[in-house]
Amino acid sequence: MTETEKQTVLEADKLTKRYEDGVLALDEVSFAINSSEIFAMLGANGAGKTTTINLFLNFIEPTEGEARVMGIVTHKEPLLAKEKIAYVSENVMLYQNFTAMQNLDYFARLGGKKDYSKDDYRDVLLRVGLQEEAHNKRLKGFSKGMRQKCGIAIAILKDAPAILLDEPTSGLDPKAGFEFMKLLDNLRSEGKSILMSTHDIFRAREIADTVGIMNQGKLVMQAGKDELSDKDLEQLYMKYMAGYMEEAA
Amino acid sequence: MLKLILLKELREITGSAKFAVTFGICSMLIILSFFAGIKNYETRMEEYNSSTAANLRPYKDTTDWDHVRDHRISLTPKPLASLIVGLSNDIPRDAYINGRDTPSFSRSNYSQQPVFSVFRFLDLEFVFQVIFSLFAILFAFDAVNGEKERGTLRLSFANSLPRAGYILGKLAGSFLALALPLLIPILIGALLIPVMGVSLTVDEWIRLSLFILCGMLYLGVFLTLAVFISCLTQRPSSSFLFLLIIWVCSVLIIPRASVLIAGNAVEVPSTEEISVQVLQLQRQNARESDKKLGEVFQQVLQESRQNRDKGPEFMKNRQEELYGELDILRDKLDKNVDDLKSRLNEERTNMQIKQEKLAFGISRISPAAVFTLSATTLADTSMELRNHFMENAKAYSKSFADFFRNKTGRSIDSEMNFNREREDKKKQARLINVNEIPEFAYQAPDLPVILHDALPDIALLFLFNLVFFIGAFTAFLRYDLR
Repeated sequence: MTETEKQTVLEADKLTKRYEDGVLALDEVSFAINSSEIFAMLGANGAGKTTTINLFLNFIEPTEGEARVMGIVTHKEPLLAKEKIAYVSENVMLYQNFTAMQNLDYFARLGGKKDYSKDDYRDVLLRVGLQEEAHNKRLKGFSKGMRQKCGIAIAILKDAPAILLDEPTSGLDPKAGFEFMKLLDNLRSEGKSILMSTHDIFRAREIADTVGIMNQGKLVMQAGKDELSDKDLEQLYMKYMAGYMEEAA
Repeated sequence: MLKLILLKELREITGSAKFAVTFGICSMLIILSFFAGIKNYETRMEEYNSSTAANLRPYKDTTDWDHVRDHRISLTPKPLASLIVGLSNDIPRDAYINGRDTPSFSRSNYSQQPVFSVFRFLDLEFVFQVIFSLFAILFAFDAVNGEKERGTLRLSFANSLPRAGYILGKLAGSFLALALPLLIPILIGALLIPVMGVSLTVDEWIRLSLFILCGMLYLGVFLTLAVFISCLTQRPSSSFLFLLIIWVCSVLIIPRASVLIAGNAVEVPSTEEISVQVLQLQRQNARESDKKLGEVFQQVLQESRQNRDKGPEFMKNRQEELYGELDILRDKLDKNVDDLKSRLNEERTNMQIKQEKLAFGISRISPAAVFTLSATTLADTSMELRNHFMENAKAYSKSFADFFRNKTGRSIDSEMNFNREREDKKKQARLINVNEIPEFAYQAPDLPVILHDALPDIALLFLFNLVFFIGAFTAFLRYDLR
């Protein structure tokens, strides 16, 4: 896919969320993610990363602005918008009494994919790095990394143009984290548009096409990979978190 | 989508180790309660047969039907009453009939084996009431907030899944996952009935089926309630605590409290209080009667002196006249006593009915109480059993009077002829065949009557389901999925 063929898949347009208690969780956040792009949202807890993802999933409605998936406004046509989204949460638990295959089967069907065979499930589980002997075991005994692999396998099976990842690498050991990044790279090369919230500055820099820093509901910085190549992202992040916006600019 | 959610629920619930253990214990208890009920019925039948034989024993050496004017009858055991015991252990099991007066109950409420009264029976109604409600709570207390805590709710709703479809599928799936497996031990238990040689009439099978239906409705009440509470609370531990409190109130507190409240609100005079009032009137009447007797006696003396010349015939007539007045007064006083007695008894009965209505009315806010009331009505072991037994005894008493007339050619009200038997014995007359005495067999009310009585409580169980279902449904539509 060339630069000109890329289309905007995920788009936040002045996305604002104020809760009933008056707390401003998100303040006019705007960004666009094209196909074959990874956008990494960095920020402290409560910065608004998960709120942004919740708005794309229509778990909450925006006070102002719009979240769009392939041009579909999520709070206006949520069911249609969700057909275009796959989601991997921070701590994938899934159904503990189900095997990995059964979980995949259930969530694939829930995502509207009814024609997958056991072989398809096996292939995708192998692709995400889950060893074959674990495929028919209940998730009860799975480590976090193994469950995370199942979660990403579910997202792959849905074959949606957009993937939302909510702190997907938190708690993963370095090897599992590395494998996960490799998988994201593959998905990007397949044309997926990926929005990832994370605390992991180094992985964000390594994988993301665009990095955004969020602070107190605002997207205080947004920069492409090229712009960041000669900058110390960690220092940049700390400065924004501390409120030294002018200095960073 | 609904089918997918439903099947997921079925698989998730039935696939857990928690389900396997709980289901095993529940199945054992259900089958055991059927078995215990059937054994209980067999024991009761043995007691009944020996009691029936003992009832006729006094007439074994009788040669004249004229002497068979009363005897004791026993409440015929019914299989359903052994499975769903209700009040069948707490009402008299024997009644004396004489073909003339209202039958009188003897003090015979399960006195032969009092040990059973200590911890009560393991009957189906108790097992269903406790197990079904706990079973539903145990598997549905975290139906929604548990999924949220585990993150599966977010993951599910990241797909184009309508909320209504999800909650409907969840409710239907949970119900089927619990109800279908529970039906297996119930069917095995029901099969035990004919296998162990007990036969039920078609009516009894229908009533047993309706009882099982009530059990399923009762299960549904606690299931929808558990899902509802799960939608209203954020954490499974909170919903479990709430449901446990509701369970304790519903099963243990409200039914007992309703009786206490009704007992305090409506005071029913005791039979002793009535006896005291009647005795007071009888004493007052006796004084009045004595006073009148004294007056009559004085008047007779006085008039005898004054009317010596009119001859003995005149005074005899006059005495009859004066003592006749005394008899009229005594009859009037006796009637007053009878009137007071019947008025007080009627008032007592009315107050009892009022108290029962109030107690049952209050208790019906508890699904467990509603289930008990519907179950005992269907099994004919409710408060009405005593009245039904009395009606049966009255009808039998009448047929016994007819039998007596056929045998003796005389009314059962007529005086007994003692000489005839002595003459019979001299003639070495044949003994009567006591087996000719019509057998008393208790007949439960017809199915339409029982259905009519049970229907309000069955409808109430349905209403509980509906209310909690709507509650769960609407609460989930507004549920915070984050």
